Amino acid sequence: MTRKQLFLLLAAIFLTLLPAAAHLSGNPYLLSLASRILIYGLAAASLDLLLGYGAMISLGHAAYVGIGAYAVGILHLHLGAGDLPPALALLADSTASGLAILPLAVLAASLAALVIGALCLRTTGMHFIMITLAFAQMLYYFFISLEAYGGDDGLSLMSRSGLPLVNLDNDTHFYYFCLFCLVLFLYLASRLVHSRFGLILRGAGDNERRARGLGVNTGRYRLALFTIAGGSAGLAGALLANHSEFVSPGLLNWTLSGELMVMVLLGGIGTLFGPVVGAAVYLLLEEGLNMYTEHWMAYMGPLLVLAVLFARNGLFPLLISERRRHG
Amino acid sequence: MAEALLEVIGLNKSFGALLATNDLSLTVRQGEVHALIGPNGAGKTTLVNQLSGDLAADSGRIIFRGQDVTRLPAHRRARLGIARSFQITHIFENLTVAENLGLALLAGHGGNFHFFRHWRRAPRLEEQLTEALTRFDLLQHRDQPAASLSHGEKRQLEVGMALVVDPQLLILDEPMAGLGSGGTVELTRIIRRLKGQLTILLVEHDMDVVFSLADRITVLVYGHDIATGTPAEIRGNALVRQAYLGEEG
Ligand SMILES: Nc1ncnc2c1ncn2[C@@H]1O[C@H](COP(=O)(O)OP(=O)(O)O)[C@@H](O)[C@H]1O
Ligand SMILES: [Mg+2]
Repeated sequence: MTRKQLFLLLAAIFLTLLPAAAHLSGNPYLLSLASRILIYGLAAASLDLLLGYGAMISLGHAAYVGIGAYAVGILHLHLGAGDLPPALALLADSTASGLAILPLAVLAASLAALVIGALCLRTTGMHFIMITLAFAQMLYYFFISLEAYGGDDGLSLMSRSGLPLVNLDNDTHFYYFCLFCLVLFLYLASRLVHSRFGLILRGAGDNERRARGLGVNTGRYRLALFTIAGGSAGLAGALLANHSEFVSPGLLNWTLSGELMVMVLLGGIGTLFGPVVGAAVYLLLEEGLNMYTEHWMAYMGPLLVLAVLFARNGLFPLLISERRRHG
Repeated sequence: MAEALLEVIGLNKSFGALLATNDLSLTVRQGEVHALIGPNGAGKTTLVNQLSGDLAADSGRIIFRGQDVTRLPAHRRARLGIARSFQITHIFENLTVAENLGLALLAGHGGNFHFFRHWRRAPRLEEQLTEALTRFDLLQHRDQPAASLSHGEKRQLEVGMALVVDPQLLILDEPMAGLGSGGTVELTRIIRRLKGQLTILLVEHDMDVVFSLADRITVLVYGHDIATGTPAEIRGNALVRQAYLGEEG
């Protein structure tokens, strides 16, 4: 068994037992924090597909998280008001609304990523960074101006999405559902990066001209990856909306994009699992420092600098004592 | 006379005021090794970039296998059978040697939107890959990152990647650069073995290599083709001697 496998096994056991431990120790609020970590981990890992494997530095990943969240918020609003169009009548069954709402959220985020990606991918390098940011900020202001859906104040959900077999309103169920989504994503993403698609993509990220010279239409592969990453971020957004039962334009702001990027770098770019570690460390630090001071960011900054200095490739490669990328 | 595989007609490319390609015409015949020589800065790499589609020509035409490819993007030309190596080594440094060659093989086939199964398990790939690794003497390095190869091995890998797709035309931009005499001999042998199997456009500085390998030679000066002919004709060409080989006419 490699160190990586051992780490993942221990992490799986820990995460599976966490709800029981939280309840036994009388800290059920920990479960809410843990769910948040899993969701941010999913969002960060989806960004890692772009940063670590596609060499696409997107500074607008929050947009897709936000769209996924808003899709949930908006559908729930209409569900509550009972004015859904007939095509979405399936949603009216509140015990199974999530079966339609969650896929619709993913679809909405994927479509947005497809369109925005098609435009952004006409540029490269610094321009790509700026234009992904610009589109995200545009959507941020769009949702601020969307008075029908709460504008600046955002939207509250009456309840969480309904699913058969699990009750998302129960925090333990919700936690396991988030864990399921994250594990599923990580499994599929690990398969993806070593698939034919993933190989071509890593090549294009490594040396674009070489890839094109071999006959690869790099743009199509990049756009497909951008769409997949956007859709996955949309799933994270949909979970986040359900988690806090609230969505607001702040989810689309560049600060979230920046935080996700920090999580990726902190945990280890191009490792998929690392960004989840990064999300955990980041959110735990935030939570911990927050207890002592409201100026937690002033302490977080130096800590992150230290982490990046001492774990150049991120925490995950350090944990599994491996140096090579794309492991 | 063999038919033309590649025809360049009146090609022009300028960088600002500099005419890097100046009314350049050239015919590469099916099956020959055609060398392109000229002093540094003559515009050889600029021409190669226009042939491969990495750079857009300002005017003029590029005909490959009877088809006008002047405006086709690089990946489409690669699919038609134009493969190239770069003057500065271009390989996938962060991928393993096997992944480099595997990618080259898969890229040639197209249709790589498979997201789940491991790339090595693509139909018939394993045997092609092993064959390629053996052919380019890289079998013992297969799972090593390409970045860890020596300079000569990187060159071998790059030429290997260009060749595994069975191109019609192989363009080599100064493949011997920085190789040292041992590597030059090795690569010369590889190219000689290829002679007759495919058409090669060879940009090269090393005159011994050029005169020993080439069927025909085109001389480029200031972006213009001042002469084309057999090695003997080029040696005897007064214009070439004056302009390039640096001898008094
Ligand atoms: N991208 C570019 N922008 C401006 N000038 C260039 C560019 N590429 C090449 N040149 C110029 O064009 C001329 C031809 O260069 P090049 O094709 O590299 O020559 P060679 O390969 O024969 O040595 C040189 O003067 C070079 O400085
Ligand atoms: Mg050159």
